[in-house]
Amino acid sequence: MTVTEPHIEEAKKDITFRVFRFNPQIDSKPYYDDYTIQVERGITVLRSLNYIKEHLDATVSFRAFCQAGICGSCAMRVNGLSKLACTTQVWEVLEKCREPNVIKVEPLRNLPLVKDLIVDMDPLVDKMKHYSNWVESTMPEEKMGKKEFLISEEEFLKYDKATDCILCASCVSECSILRANSEYVSPAVLLKSYRMNSDSRDAIHDVRLAELVKDHGVWDCTHCYRCQETCVKSIPIMDAIHGIREDAIERRGMKDTSGSKHAEAFMSDIEKKGKLVEATLPIRTNGMAWTLKNLLPMAMKMIVKRRTPPPPPLVKPTKGIRVFRSMFREMSEHVREDHKSHNK
Amino acid sequence: MKPFDIVIVGGGGAGLYAAMEAMKTNPSLNIAVLSKVYPNRSHTSAAQGGANAALANKAKDDTVELHIFDTIKGSDYLADQDAVEVLCSEAPKIIRELDNMGTPWSRMDDNTIAQRPFGGAGRPRCCYCADKTGHTILQTLYEQCLKKGVQFFNEYFALSLSVNGSRMRGLLALNIKTGKVEAFASKTVIFATGGYAKMYWNRSSNAAGNTGDGQAIAYRAGIPLKDMEFVQFHPTGLRKSGLLVTEGARGEGGYLVNRDGERFMARYAKEKMELGPRDLVARSLETEILEGRGFDSPAGKYIHLDLTHLGADLIKSRLPQIREMSMQFEGVDPIEEPIPVRPTAHYSMGGIDTDNFGRTVMGGVYAAGECGCVSVHGANRLGGNSLLDILVFGRIAGRTAAEEVGKFAPGIIPESEIAEKAEELRSFMKPSGHYERYGALREELGQTLAMNVGIFREAPLLRKGIDDIAALRERYQHVRVFDTSDVYNTNLIQVLELKNMLDLAETVAAGAYAREESRGSHTRVDFPVRDDEKWHRHTVATLENGKVALGEKPVTMGRYELQERTY
Ligand SMILES: Cc1cc2nc3c(=O)[nH]c(=O)nc-3n(C[C@H](O)[C@H](O)[C@H](O)COP(=O)(O)OP(=O)(O)OC[C@H]3O[C@@H](n4cnc5c(N)ncnc54)[C@H](O)[C@@H]3O)c2cc1C
Ligand code: SF4
Ligand code: SF4
Ligand code: FES
Repeated sequence: MTVTEPHIEEAKKDITFRVFRFNPQIDSKPYYDDYTIQVERGITVLRSLNYIKEHLDATVSFRAFCQAGICGSCAMRVNGLSKLACTTQVWEVLEKCREPNVIKVEPLRNLPLVKDLIVDMDPLVDKMKHYSNWVESTMPEEKMGKKEFLISEEEFLKYDKATDCILCASCVSECSILRANSEYVSPAVLLKSYRMNSDSRDAIHDVRLAELVKDHGVWDCTHCYRCQETCVKSIPIMDAIHGIREDAIERRGMKDTSGSKHAEAFMSDIEKKGKLVEATLPIRTNGMAWTLKNLLPMAMKMIVKRRTPPPPPLVKPTKGIRVFRSMFREMSEHVREDHKSHNK
Repeated sequence: MKPFDIVIVGGGGAGLYAAMEAMKTNPSLNIAVLSKVYPNRSHTSAAQGGANAALANKAKDDTVELHIFDTIKGSDYLADQDAVEVLCSEAPKIIRELDNMGTPWSRMDDNTIAQRPFGGAGRPRCCYCADKTGHTILQTLYEQCLKKGVQFFNEYFALSLSVNGSRMRGLLALNIKTGKVEAFASKTVIFATGGYAKMYWNRSSNAAGNTGDGQAIAYRAGIPLKDMEFVQFHPTGLRKSGLLVTEGARGEGGYLVNRDGERFMARYAKEKMELGPRDLVARSLETEILEGRGFDSPAGKYIHLDLTHLGADLIKSRLPQIREMSMQFEGVDPIEEPIPVRPTAHYSMGGIDTDNFGRTVMGGVYAAGECGCVSVHGANRLGGNSLLDILVFGRIAGRTAAEEVGKFAPGIIPESEIAEKAEELRSFMKPSGHYERYGALREELGQTLAMNVGIFREAPLLRKGIDDIAALRERYQHVRVFDTSDVYNTNLIQVLELKNMLDLAETVAAGAYAREESRGSHTRVDFPVRDDEKWHRHTVATLENGKVALGEKPVTMGRYELQERTY
């Protein structure tokens, strides 16, 4: 006798996977292939792709390794959103199908396409190198191995979350700036830079920071939050980006960045912490563009005047920050729409 | 390409440490690291628990001596005692070194590296970074290698050693992005390709690529493999994928329940129940399933790991990872339903036979990490000792190769050898009347291994396993690669990996058949006791005339006499 759990038996569906195809040796442009298979509840997108590769079409190409959400190989866009195929349940993306039970699977954006669902990761590695995404130890090599550094749990917790990053590049794929400027530092690299800069064992904090404030660096971010919303490890990437900005203002002053970029920083601080709430009034009444133009000088002065700004964790987000943030984002969105229609 | 001084195959913890140490030993050397995946994707990242070192941060009375004893006892006395001494005495230094270069560690109240208890260890000496120790160690090593400008050849698949007579002259590898076979002429080669437990396929906790490539390449070049029959099983793998549900679930009070709703561990370990030692719990689960008290499903038989009685709060606060995993990979929320589990192949103790310096019998060829067998784990590895192994012996192999490189002349690999290899790969793609499917062969291999060369072994089953593997190897001759493109041909890679698993499976089954005793992870139903008289020795598998030939090697003893292993 066999005992099967009835709900598992029942939960089966025919699902069509609409897979992005491109073989650079043959195809002049990409196209989609449909594969329809029966899927039971509890099956991941990766297992479905494996099944398709083994039973229907061995040429479908994608990366996968650990199959456990830890190696970062299998990031791809599922129904338009970048995620790990191996941790994504088919059932859970069914709601987001444009056509019922048709799941679209595409490669990550913002990285060069290699074949089908595979993109080239080298540009990301190059950026990690460019921004020195490593600890340059304060301890000389010949002294290593004798004594541990004494590090507080508090310091560890500062970069604990950032070290969860598995370099899957999902955030890279969703970043709005990277779409326009492939040289932009990238959210994952900002995150890693922040992690290195918060490590007391590291000796090249200022060198890294000097690179981060240059063109294509931290000031180019529009704080659209897409990266953070996408992150497969739920890492608060925006905290890292804000952290680097605050650090840059504190350590480097205003000397090497343009005013408009500082204005953005100012606005994002408001959005994140909800401080300076009085500033919302002009935004609400006059719109973002007006506020930027007219309140910018004051904003600059305020930043300069904060001679000894409190360290980031002490600036507690104000109550009601969620509501405020979503309001803020909505406003930003409106301004952007405005811009678009103006430019048409 | 300019000939190399050292080519390192593998970008996991062992390979990266070897690269760093070799560069440090002699900065003028031309060193390459080849990896079939980007190094940060290597399976080292999956290690959650931690790495053992007698730092004595937590238990002030911990010593290297105690660590040595625990390891030897854990190995069921099959580890070489001089090698274990190297492992454990280097441990504190290597963990501090990692800390000094920037590895994040969880911390104690006095700001030193935190340590926790781990199975088989008499003191809490497992150093950890939350539940992502392997990941953070690998990240750090990769970052440091980028900093030092290590030459990486990412997404290169090693194919074979180039050997002239008995002289090694380099390595052939497939550039996955272009589909070209490329020659890496080199004075020395270090294998660091990780374990082979994935041959049990969906009954394994390993990454898809843990297919023992380095071991198989070395074996085909005539280099002996050691103790291949020792494969460690973990009691709780997820039913569908074999992925690991860590001991934490049982530690917090989870029950193991069979089809009759019975907490069956009462019959196997009355006092410890679910918290008995890993191998005992694994054997108990397997017995329940074999005797028909498991659940059945299209994805195979299984047992329930029931957490529902712990309540939503506890599960959410203490076991969030486990809950997430079981939702992601089984679609089951453990707050509401039990998790379907069964034992899973987890770690390979056997590997390329090396001395304490990583040297193999072939001049210029070294091995380290899970792909090598020094041996420090003997018949059973202790949790937290293998991260340590890859770091300590990765470093030693890197240093030794860098020091000895002058002994070997630069090799030249003839063009004809490259062309032949390319032709061999092409031949998989030729349409033919009768062909075999990769997926079917791989599935059958995993099944016969799990059934016949799995947790419980006995002569008739093992003979069946050996026959099955032979038949699968025969059928492999006709396997077909359907993707004929050059660029990123994952179909071809899978087929090549299958060949490596088939070659190694033969050595695992042969070793298991020959070893007529039960020791550590190797349980013979027909020979239930440890037989030191006959079997206190390593098995050594060599390829002779296309067949596996088994030999033996003595175990190096030291201060510790043979004792019964009881806990
Ligand atoms: C789920 C899980 C949890 C674990 N937890 C722990 C733990 O808590 N503590 C502990 O000590 N150990 C643990 N282990 C064991 C430990 O993680 C491994 O033994 C160890 O990481 C192996 O490291 P490695 O460097 O030898 O190989 P890997 O990290 O597996 O690296 C192998 C490398 O070789 C490359 N490679 C392989 N074949 C080829 C080829 N043909 N061509 C080119 N390159 C190739 C790969 O790309 C990869 O870079 C765990 C293992 C698993 C599966
Ligand atoms: S917040 Fe900045 S880094 Fe993140 S996606 Fe938007 S622009 Fe890119
Ligand atoms: S930050 Fe998150 S999404 Fe981005 S690469 Fe790292 S893990 Fe992936
Ligand atoms: S396969 Fe490793 S993260 Fe998905």
